[in-house]
Amino acid sequence: MSIKRSLATTTISGFALSAAFVLTLLNLLLQNLPAHMHRAGDELLKLNADEGIANAVTTVVVYFRGFDTLGEIAVLFIASLGIGLMLGENERCEIKAESNFMLQTASRLLFPIITLYGIYVMVYGHLSPGGGFQGGVIIASGVLLLLISHKEYEVPHSLVVWLETFAGVAYVLIGLIGLLTLDVFLSNFLPHDIAQMGLLISGGIIPIIYILVGIKVGSEMSMIVQNLIKRQSNV
Amino acid sequence: MFEYLNQSEVIRSIVTVGSMALFFVGLFGLLSQKHFIKIFISIAIMESAVFLFFIGNVFERDFTAPIMGEGYTNVAQMNDPIPHAMILTAIVIGMAVMALGVSMAIEYYKLTKNTDIDKMNEMRH
Repeated sequence: MSIKRSLATTTISGFALSAAFVLTLLNLLLQNLPAHMHRAGDELLKLNADEGIANAVTTVVVYFRGFDTLGEIAVLFIASLGIGLMLGENERCEIKAESNFMLQTASRLLFPIITLYGIYVMVYGHLSPGGGFQGGVIIASGVLLLLISHKEYEVPHSLVVWLETFAGVAYVLIGLIGLLTLDVFLSNFLPHDIAQMGLLISGGIIPIIYILVGIKVGSEMSMIVQNLIKRQSNV
Repeated sequence: MFEYLNQSEVIRSIVTVGSMALFFVGLFGLLSQKHFIKIFISIAIMESAVFLFFIGNVFERDFTAPIMGEGYTNVAQMNDPIPHAMILTAIVIGMAVMALGVSMAIEYYKLTKNTDIDKMNEMRH
């Protein structure tokens, strides 16, 4: 028997053994499961009503885990910064292929609609599925469409810098105002009545923070996409 | 005939077994491939398996999405919002890590014209 053949049998038997082990474990787990488990989310859903936000996922992301979301957009910023430092040289790559007329016209037609949809997802993040991260990525996909169809298009750099700075600073400032007024970082200091639940202006600071997150994610993702497409040409 | 498939436990176990199979597909690719872009793809597959596992395992039959509104005020009949929020975080972080890794791979290829991880011996001498 050759060594390759014996290696294959070892791999296959290893896979089969681990699959049998996992299935046995799962079977044990599923048989001993209570009928209705008490979940941590039940308490959060009860607390969620106090903030006057319809979408409980938004409350968890922006309010209960608001500090983590601040760290998360910091991670995204650091990744964007690293990509910009590595790939964002002064000489831009010449994209050889000219995209055709239909792609150019359609992208010019579609870009405002995609941006509008992204802003809608962002602004209604506390009422419906969606939110800042999703809306920002939708806007970046519109920018990607423009970048692949127009050779000479570039994301306006000063606008992106301004938007990103504004969003980050405003997030921290809102948190600090909460710290000064209610003694908790990122506390909800604006009026958030439960009777307002489901309206566009409801929930105090939570929709504002999610819109800021959307602006930051959209600008960072646009810069990542531009740096990955228009990198230096000597590859 | 397939009524038994419509229970929450059965659907959750199908999701669990399927996402574990997807995870092991990604792990196999991670261990067996030499090209680093393929390794990044394998890591992405493993990530999506974890996302599927978390999102699929909060499924309960006849439960609604955790969004309150007119006629949707019974919080005992709503899905757990915590895994959704956690996976939202994980997706964004995974995307950032993937983009940074791919850009590092581009830089490495630019410097060495090499895509094989077995030939990455620049630090050795």
